[in-house]
Amino acid sequence: MTRQERAAWLFCAPVLAIIALVFVLPTALAMALSVTDYSVYALGDWQNLRFVGLGNFVDLLSTPLFWRALGNTLMFAGLGVPMAIGTSLAVALLLHDTTVRWKPLWRVLLFAPYVTSVVATAVVWRFLFNERFGLLNRALGAIGLPPVDWLGNPHTSIPAILLFVTWKTFGYNMIVFTAALSAVPQDLMEAARLDGAGSWRRFRHVTLPAIGPTLLLAAVMSIAGFLQIFAEPYVMTMGGPAQSTTTVLFFMFEEGFKWWNLGQASAVAFILFLMILAITLVQTRIGRRYEWL
Amino acid sequence: MVVTRSLRGVLTTGAAALLTALTIAPLAYMSVVSFMPRGESSTLPTPLWPSRWSGENYYELLVRRLIDGAWFDYRIVPALWNSVWVASLSTLLGLLLTVPSGYAFAKLRFRGRQRLLQLLIASLVVPGQVAMLPLFLIFKELGLVNSYAGVILPSLAGIFAVLFVRQATLAIPDEMIDAARIDGASEARIFRVVVLPLLTPVVVTLALFMFLGSWNDFLWPLIVLADQNRYTLPVAVAAIAREHAADAELMMAASVVTTLPVLLLFLTLQRYYLTGLLGGSVKG
Amino acid sequence: MDATGWTRRAVLGSLPALGLAACARGGDDPLRMWAMSWEGDYSPLLMPPFTAATGVPVEVQSLPTTASHEKLLIATAGGALPDVFMLFNGWVTEFATIGAIAPVPAPGLVADIFPGVLASTRVGGRDYAVPWSVAPQVNFYRRDLLAAIGYDAPPGDWDDLRAMALKLKRRRPDDYVFLMLLNWPTALVNILSLAGATPLRDRNTRGNFRTAEARQAFAYYASLFADGLAPKALSTEVQDPVAAFAQGYFAIWPSGPTTLRDLAQRGVPPERWSTARCAGPDGPGPLSGQSASLCVSATTRRPAEAWALVRHLTSIDSELHFQRAIGNLPARVRAWASPQMKKPVLRPFAEQMRFPSPDPKVIEWEQIQIQIQFAAERVVRGLQTIPQALADLDERVDRLLAKRRSLVEAGKLA
Repeated sequence: MTRQERAAWLFCAPVLAIIALVFVLPTALAMALSVTDYSVYALGDWQNLRFVGLGNFVDLLSTPLFWRALGNTLMFAGLGVPMAIGTSLAVALLLHDTTVRWKPLWRVLLFAPYVTSVVATAVVWRFLFNERFGLLNRALGAIGLPPVDWLGNPHTSIPAILLFVTWKTFGYNMIVFTAALSAVPQDLMEAARLDGAGSWRRFRHVTLPAIGPTLLLAAVMSIAGFLQIFAEPYVMTMGGPAQSTTTVLFFMFEEGFKWWNLGQASAVAFILFLMILAITLVQTRIGRRYEWL
Repeated sequence: MVVTRSLRGVLTTGAAALLTALTIAPLAYMSVVSFMPRGESSTLPTPLWPSRWSGENYYELLVRRLIDGAWFDYRIVPALWNSVWVASLSTLLGLLLTVPSGYAFAKLRFRGRQRLLQLLIASLVVPGQVAMLPLFLIFKELGLVNSYAGVILPSLAGIFAVLFVRQATLAIPDEMIDAARIDGASEARIFRVVVLPLLTPVVVTLALFMFLGSWNDFLWPLIVLADQNRYTLPVAVAAIAREHAADAELMMAASVVTTLPVLLLFLTLQRYYLTGLLGGSVKG
Repeated sequence: MDATGWTRRAVLGSLPALGLAACARGGDDPLRMWAMSWEGDYSPLLMPPFTAATGVPVEVQSLPTTASHEKLLIATAGGALPDVFMLFNGWVTEFATIGAIAPVPAPGLVADIFPGVLASTRVGGRDYAVPWSVAPQVNFYRRDLLAAIGYDAPPGDWDDLRAMALKLKRRRPDDYVFLMLLNWPTALVNILSLAGATPLRDRNTRGNFRTAEARQAFAYYASLFADGLAPKALSTEVQDPVAAFAQGYFAIWPSGPTTLRDLAQRGVPPERWSTARCAGPDGPGPLSGQSASLCVSATTRRPAEAWALVRHLTSIDSELHFQRAIGNLPARVRAWASPQMKKPVLRPFAEQMRFPSPDPKVIEWEQIQIQIQFAAERVVRGLQTIPQALADLDERVDRLLAKRRSLVEAGKLA
């Protein structure tokens, strides 16, 4: 072993060991758990533990609440990603405009919600959404609209939580897009302007291709984030009303830690993993097609 | 031309200001309500300003009170210290573990490097929640349930951080490191004296990332901490938010206590942090 | 427990204690106790006499009720249970089955407890918990609002109660008559019990909701929402039910005795409200209610002190003290001889306590109750009809009981 090699292992071994202990080993164990019927009965007596093969997965597929949770999660991702990414991009484009003054100030303040704790701000937003006393309904009232039962109506609960999540997270991608926008080749932009291209066409044919890879990566990260949504429904709605905000992870938490069906919950975790894996593969595929990666 | 340009400037700046005001409004309202007398926020029409500024919510939240010979306490102050200490320690240890490793993956040649790197990148796809259930069982066997170590340890498996540091280190020219090697410097010394100073902005960004991540972490501390004396702030706040939803003013005060430290930290370090995120490509 | 296991645990256990003793004041480790709801918030009030008498300090941790089941289960699995903790009576079977709680060591601890209450904490013929407070639901009602339409008290049978409610709704169309939170199963479980429904069948291994009684109960419950008599609201929405009750947002509130404390503390004038037994199809009947008990962890290192604490907290003096402080009703028969228990608002509770309705003793009961409530919520929100919801409910309950069914069929579970 060379001196360099020894040093390299010295530098890497501690973190690799911890990764093995808290990540690799448990992930392997999760795979093992997901084929058992580990339940609260097994917590009392190990003799009650049995191997069930793919039984947990089969059971899940016929559990209505799991499908509900899956549907809700896809709804979160499907509505949330355009909403969050769109907001980030729109704000980044606005701040990219050369005529805007005091940009660093706006940037810092717009980013601020991102650094706050989800739990604390979810408590705040739960109050803003209050049907009777909330600020949001007061604002609606001021422009003559009827109050909305934001978190109490199964049809508005997901949009309400998405509003909160967008507020909380758009700052991050705003900064990422700002960086990408500043890398758009200026000469190309100038050439397009001289060709008489309007602002939409310049955006479509110059800006978008240049920031495409960033946009794609942000979208994928954002989907992965929305698939793992938990703290928001936990604090704001406890999965309700009528289970309309029960997400896959919330379902996993309840199955696993509330009712101690670890076998079932591990199976849920694996399905979540497969979903994220699938999305990453799609991203790689798209990236290859457009030669971005 | 000059007139339309300046008009446009007013419009765009106005739009940015309006957007910023809307974004900050929830945080501002949170602070205002936290100073309202108890119950005032639940009256109609919804008040935007306190009838009188009151510190009672902070007093009730933060001060231990003796009632009929028994102590009453929401344990927010201990939770605040727990959060400070857990977040600081996990940031410090996280940096110690991941920065050298990221450098090694970028600049040191060793057998298996490429293979390990591919494994690390691939593992980014596995959500941490998959490991969570068995990790609890492992920690039980190790006696780490209900301990600070149990909270901190999982946050040290910084795969993302290793890759982040590696990416930044790749930009350092090999010649600098080779020159130091020819001068006979040890690998540890090269890392400390040559590489680390160049990585400072990256390390600050990463540190803030880790600190925020640990401070705001919720699900795992919720599971692993049983004793309220060890609760971190989000867990403590979530616990009182369930039972004290009625006391909006009190909850807003708890939210202020939870968000203020990280907001201040962010505002102090925002130049490094945003520059780190922006990759140094954007000027104000 | 075998001797080696005990010594090993004692040795292992003493290691952290030795380390802690150096920094704790005087080395007196507090006894740890967890409790939910007002019991958690107010238990410290009962501790000074105990600490004075025994020299043992007690640290009380208050758990949010809605997060308490997972908290207790996680602590059981993680070996982090406190020495003493509160359980709702419906959970005692579960925690006894998984070996989390120790059986009551001396019969004297449970002497003089209301028999119906004690029966609910008995598992396999042994007592596993000491009932602490009894909490049957009654209807809290606004006397002034009811008086305005010519009623002294809400009627005791469903049809008359509905007629009264409709009359009140006509008079106050912007407010409601009842408050029954859509994520809080107690009211509905009580309605099922009043209708005479038996939720489980086949030795408690299958759901039994496609019955005339269950249909009647669901229909009655749903009609209160359909007619606008109760708001379709969750506990996260009605952030302050006491204030809403005081403001007249609703006039009748099925709730437990802790509401006595809430109303008194929030200064709602006593002439404005009173209590009456919950209505049934043909008059009041048996109810289960969220009664609470105290348990000692099976793994505590200080069982003697822990049981002494339980004895102190469930003593007649403590129970009466708690009744004054938070409204909770004593589980010991003799406590009811005290003059403070003779107040008129307590009479409906006293009557109701003589008609307890036992919950099915299965580990899954808590989950089943949640499913019952989900089914009702789907009906109330118009997502399913009652027959659909009940068929669905049976299927879901059967699924929850699958593991139990296989253990019962294999003869491993009584």
